[in-house]
Amino acid sequence: MAISDVQEYTHLTDEEVEQIGRELDAIRAEIEDSRGAKDAAYINRMIKVQRGLAAAGRVSMLAGTWGARWAPRAQKPAVAAGAVLLGLAKILENMEIGHNVMHGQWDWMNDPEIHSSTWEWDTAQPAEQWKHSHNYVHHQFTNVLGYDNDIGYGILRMAREQRWSPFNLGQPVYNAALATLFQWGVALHDLDIERIRKGEKDPREMKRQLGQILRKGRNQILKDYVVYPALSGPRWKQVLVANATANLSRNLWSYVIIFCGHFPDGAMHFTEEEIEDETRAEWYLRQVLGAANFEGGPLLHILSGNLGFQIEHHLFPDLPSNRYAEISQRVRALCDKYDLPYTIGPLHRQYGQALRTIVKLSVPNSWTSSDQPEPPTPSRERRRRSDAERPPRRTELGGWSRRAAS
Amino acid sequence: MTLSQADRLDDVRWVTQCALSRVCGGCAMSLERPVAFVGTPAEVGANAFHLPPLHVGCAEDLRATREADPSWQITLTSGFEFVRPAKEDDDRRPTFQPNSLLDL
Repeated sequence: MAISDVQEYTHLTDEEVEQIGRELDAIRAEIEDSRGAKDAAYINRMIKVQRGLAAAGRVSMLAGTWGARWAPRAQKPAVAAGAVLLGLAKILENMEIGHNVMHGQWDWMNDPEIHSSTWEWDTAQPAEQWKHSHNYVHHQFTNVLGYDNDIGYGILRMAREQRWSPFNLGQPVYNAALATLFQWGVALHDLDIERIRKGEKDPREMKRQLGQILRKGRNQILKDYVVYPALSGPRWKQVLVANATANLSRNLWSYVIIFCGHFPDGAMHFTEEEIEDETRAEWYLRQVLGAANFEGGPLLHILSGNLGFQIEHHLFPDLPSNRYAEISQRVRALCDKYDLPYTIGPLHRQYGQALRTIVKLSVPNSWTSSDQPEPPTPSRERRRRSDAERPPRRTELGGWSRRAAS
Repeated sequence: MTLSQADRLDDVRWVTQCALSRVCGGCAMSLERPVAFVGTPAEVGANAFHLPPLHVGCAEDLRATREADPSWQITLTSGFEFVRPAKEDDDRRPTFQPNSLLDL
């Protein structure tokens, strides 16, 4: 069920909505005021650990291949250990460091390196395009049908309100392909294939974006599939396979974490009516209802970029990720106080529900039932607007932002 | 960098997009450190700006335009908070609150 009026869905009064907003503002202000040396030490430590893992992984692979003459039995374990270490380094870099630095979570440190304007991450999508497709399109229009391109990444039908077509029968296959090739799917995310197909994309902007993607993709391929294997001498194939394994493990892991953020049962979708004249408090409410958390220990949360606290991340995307755990306790208490849904569960259950949705929505709605929980009391029936009645898509979503000087 | 987007510096949608995408409101290219904000003495005093983040060069170019408010000042920062309007705010524009001020 897509929600067209969050306040109606939650049965809150105007004053309650604004009071929730004030309480969330207070949490935000408290974290901003207490940001300091301990937080800076945290991100510096993460970067140090990540670089250590990456170096250890590369060295382990090189030692395994070059050292095979003297210690042939150590070759395979050393290369395998290198693949694991490199995979962990890539996961840490993408999830806890790159994603959060590019949100501006650490800009307050005034560190020239750890800054949203300078960070370039170890994945195929250029940072500039990520900051548009993720920071803006996804975070501003979270789970709004027709606006948020993260709802199915343009190839999966993830809401019952989305029209079914025979193309959707292949969803389980597309999903497996997306998971396996996740970094390349994300690399194309900001191009907006739909707009290109309709001939609506500014050709100059498309050319500029494609150039960025080709350059970044080329460098990623050169690094992992040409330079490091070449440095490994005659056993280059083993390093190539190990690097591919590290990239694959990062792809699968980041795909699972991201799909757990908005597709488990309980994470709601919204219609465009909801975002018209939205106040800050209403925006907060939409973030709470549209996101889902998962449970786990500190290591799991670090390796998932603290996106197990997806609700808190969506409420405060530019607060330091190491503070989300403490924020979550207060947000959950607030949700309890106002009887608001707070979607959370173990990782396997959250992903299982997302996977079930992918499979169920590959067939027409009439063949399956909805798994979304019902609102506290039935909400007023609303007729869904036809495509002709809907406003045109916001041009800034794919046409992007630049215009020629007038 | 040219002020190709100067005519929409007051457009709330554009301002929001600049804030979240981390692009300069004046030329639409990626922001750099430091980030510049242009504002009146009242905005500087309240540390709450309405115009989107800018490159330093774009901020200087903007101040030099004919339409510029003569009282505008430039504030430099490494980071900023993006604050959406609350229901009680008469002014429906979001504001930017620099959080790590730097010397000009």
